[in-house]
Amino acid sequence: MSEASGDNPASVSNDAIRDEVQSWLADNWDPEAMKKGAFGPLGRDWTAKVVDAAWAATRWPKQWYGRDYNDAQARIVETEFARVGAPGTGQDRINLWANTVLTFGNEQFKKKYVPALLKSEINMCLLYSEPGAGSDLAGLRTRAERDGDEWVVNGQKVWTSGAATADYGMLVARTDWESPKHGGISFFFCPMKQPGVEVRPLRQITNESHFNEVFLTDVRIPATNLLGPLNGGWRVLQTALAYERSMMGEGARGPRSGAKGASEKGEEELIALAREAGRLSDPVLRQDIARVIAYKKLNALNTARAKAELEQGTSSPIMSLGKLAMSRILHEEAKLRTNLLDAGSLLESSDYPRAEDANFLTLNAYFTSIGGGTDQIQRNIIGERVLGLPKEPEVDRDVPFRSVRSS
Amino acid sequence: MPELDDSERNELQNTVARLLADRSSESDVRKTMETETGFDPALWQLLAEMGIVGLLIDEQFGGYGAGAMEIERVMEEVGAALLCSPLLASAVLAASVLGASGDDDAQRRLLPDMAKGTSIATIALTGTEGSWTPEGVAVRAESNGTDWTLSGTASFVIHGQNADVVLVVANTEQGTALFQVEPSELGTAIRALPTFDHTLRLAEIEFAATKAQLIGEDGNGWPAVEQGLNLTRVALAGEQAGGARRVLDMTVEYAKNRVQFGRAIGSFQAIKHMAADLLLESESATSAARHAAMSLASTSDDAEPAISLAGFACADAFSAVTAASIQMHGGIGFTWEHPAHLYLRRARADAQLFGTPMFYRERYIQQLGG
Ligand SMILES: Cc1cc2nc3c(=O)[nH]c(=O)nc-3n(C[C@H](O)[C@H](O)[C@H](O)COP(=O)(O)OP(=O)(O)OC[C@H]3O[C@@H](n4cnc5c(N)ncnc54)[C@H](O)[C@@H]3O)c2cc1C
Repeated sequence: MSEASGDNPASVSNDAIRDEVQSWLADNWDPEAMKKGAFGPLGRDWTAKVVDAAWAATRWPKQWYGRDYNDAQARIVETEFARVGAPGTGQDRINLWANTVLTFGNEQFKKKYVPALLKSEINMCLLYSEPGAGSDLAGLRTRAERDGDEWVVNGQKVWTSGAATADYGMLVARTDWESPKHGGISFFFCPMKQPGVEVRPLRQITNESHFNEVFLTDVRIPATNLLGPLNGGWRVLQTALAYERSMMGEGARGPRSGAKGASEKGEEELIALAREAGRLSDPVLRQDIARVIAYKKLNALNTARAKAELEQGTSSPIMSLGKLAMSRILHEEAKLRTNLLDAGSLLESSDYPRAEDANFLTLNAYFTSIGGGTDQIQRNIIGERVLGLPKEPEVDRDVPFRSVRSS
Repeated sequence: MPELDDSERNELQNTVARLLADRSSESDVRKTMETETGFDPALWQLLAEMGIVGLLIDEQFGGYGAGAMEIERVMEEVGAALLCSPLLASAVLAASVLGASGDDDAQRRLLPDMAKGTSIATIALTGTEGSWTPEGVAVRAESNGTDWTLSGTASFVIHGQNADVVLVVANTEQGTALFQVEPSELGTAIRALPTFDHTLRLAEIEFAATKAQLIGEDGNGWPAVEQGLNLTRVALAGEQAGGARRVLDMTVEYAKNRVQFGRAIGSFQAIKHMAADLLLESESATSAARHAAMSLASTSDDAEPAISLAGFACADAFSAVTAASIQMHGGIGFTWEHPAHLYLRRARADAQLFGTPMFYRERYIQQLGG
């Protein structure tokens, strides 16, 4: 390993880190090649390079592709990557799959999957929600039963993003029906490419089909793919959810029209859009633009501060705050983009890219305000787990799951 | 037509509600919105037979001579059922502008078939800016003394692609005037626009020295257009109020039945309070729309601000209710198969047609002397 990553990370100077990452990027990063697809499908070859050079998850231990960096050091790496527009780093913050496996997998399991997950060599999905268990995820009814060296799973999942292309799903299933609802759930790493897994695409309000219904019939999972303790899946889930929320709090899918942004010279996109629309001098819109840009800025600052205090493998309900903030940002930005267009927003299609963007973003904002736990649930979590306000009474919390009421 | 009293108006509304429950169900709407014309001719004919298409047209031209208060009620049901039709374009906007045009010949020529539903009319009013004001007019008319020709672009022409009668608002040397163009003169110059609200049809028309016939007086066309626009705004406010109410009902019903954490989600204050706030929005929309209709029908002094108030209160209510509805439904609300997004799309369209909430708020304060 290079000289900047001495044995004691604290002893590595910030300058040395910056120098090392800069020169590595100078030797390896080629944005044109990325654009042309020279780094393979989805830029996977690039990601692999980043992982092999230990830049993908610098806060992680060295034996797991990391550098034992503290948050400040890791930020330097991320800043340098961002400066040249290179993806692939910061996965210790946002790769929910790799983080969950690293935290809860055994040695052998981690060896097998952590690098593949970091390198995006396998596609993943989240098999959590069910028709009767969305916000109330602990009410899930998909069952897993032990059969020799395997688990056999039966049930139905829904709203499963990416299930159609997934190689594995992170699955929560009930393994004990006598315990209260949270106590009988286990967390599995479920192979998707097998006969018992039937994926039916659902059409979304965006007119896309990313999420699916998934029917599980005698699906078989090797016993070694249990993550965390048997019946201790709820805690694993909390960690995975925190990473997911943290990811969703940092960003969301942008416009899909593929049109060139309005912004040249790195000006704020919303300001550029307003200028393009001839509305930049409208005092009302100026207030709104300032507000939305500020929401984004403040969320970024909050997030950076919250995460600086977080250790790998720990999770914090504070992540709910970022996700809630992002939801507001997305809905407000979509409103603003609509107001900039006025009647232009009546249209859609790639012939009207600004309208297409405003309308798509209006709809897709619900991805963040519903997916990953709704805004209402985030507010409950913030109220109860961050602020310590008393919980709402939950009628079915402490009764054996068998006798719980469902829709 | 003799003035209807309130119970007769209720009866009118109920009749329309029953028809639309039968013929404009959600699955009908989904089927119709995917067709090219975007409306169901058989249902259109039924609406004509019931007198809805001719509701605002004078009795001497085969209509019912009703007014703002009646059409507002009808439109509440249109919004609730998401009816796909040229009703607003033909039976409301075009019919009322023609009615106000003072051009007896044109009225005699056009209104009877419009009342019967056998011809569909629309008005090309705004340019690509999409502002339904005199400044928004982007078509120029020229005359060689006897014949008129039009040039320029009109956009957001509602059901333009389906119209047999195309009325055009254009600027002349004298000011603003109303014209009629034969669709056969237009050919490919009329182009369907792709709309985010799939229940709506819009077109753009490119005029290039297109032959046109003057309706009414040259230079004095705007007052009739404004009069028609005002009635149309009231009708649209009714649609928004009715749409908001239906979506709220649907959402409350869901909140009563969907169980999470062992209880109906409507028992959570987060959901309950949202619903209560939305009821305030929706009731305010109905009040605003009906008040605007009454003020316009009685030609009261405060008709103008009442219409502006309805313009933004109803648009904002419909938008707020539809937006919250998706959230309150959770994942199911994010699916194409659920109707919530159809209403959201309609609400977004309605919030643009004939003026945005920002436009109406500004007009409102000006009308109040501010
Ligand atoms: C675009 C998208 C992608 C998704 N991707 C995935 C995925 O990949 N994998 C996966 O497992 N799931 C996924 N989901 C599912 C998502 O996590 C659930 O939709 C969400 O948790 C809500 O559950 P629900 O749909 O059952 O709604 P419900 O839980 O029925 O909620 C309905 C309404 O009730 C409110 N509510 C419920 N409980 C309470 C309460 N206690 N207090 C206050 N309000 C409450 C909710 O906020 C909501 O407004 C996705 C959803 C969307 C929209």
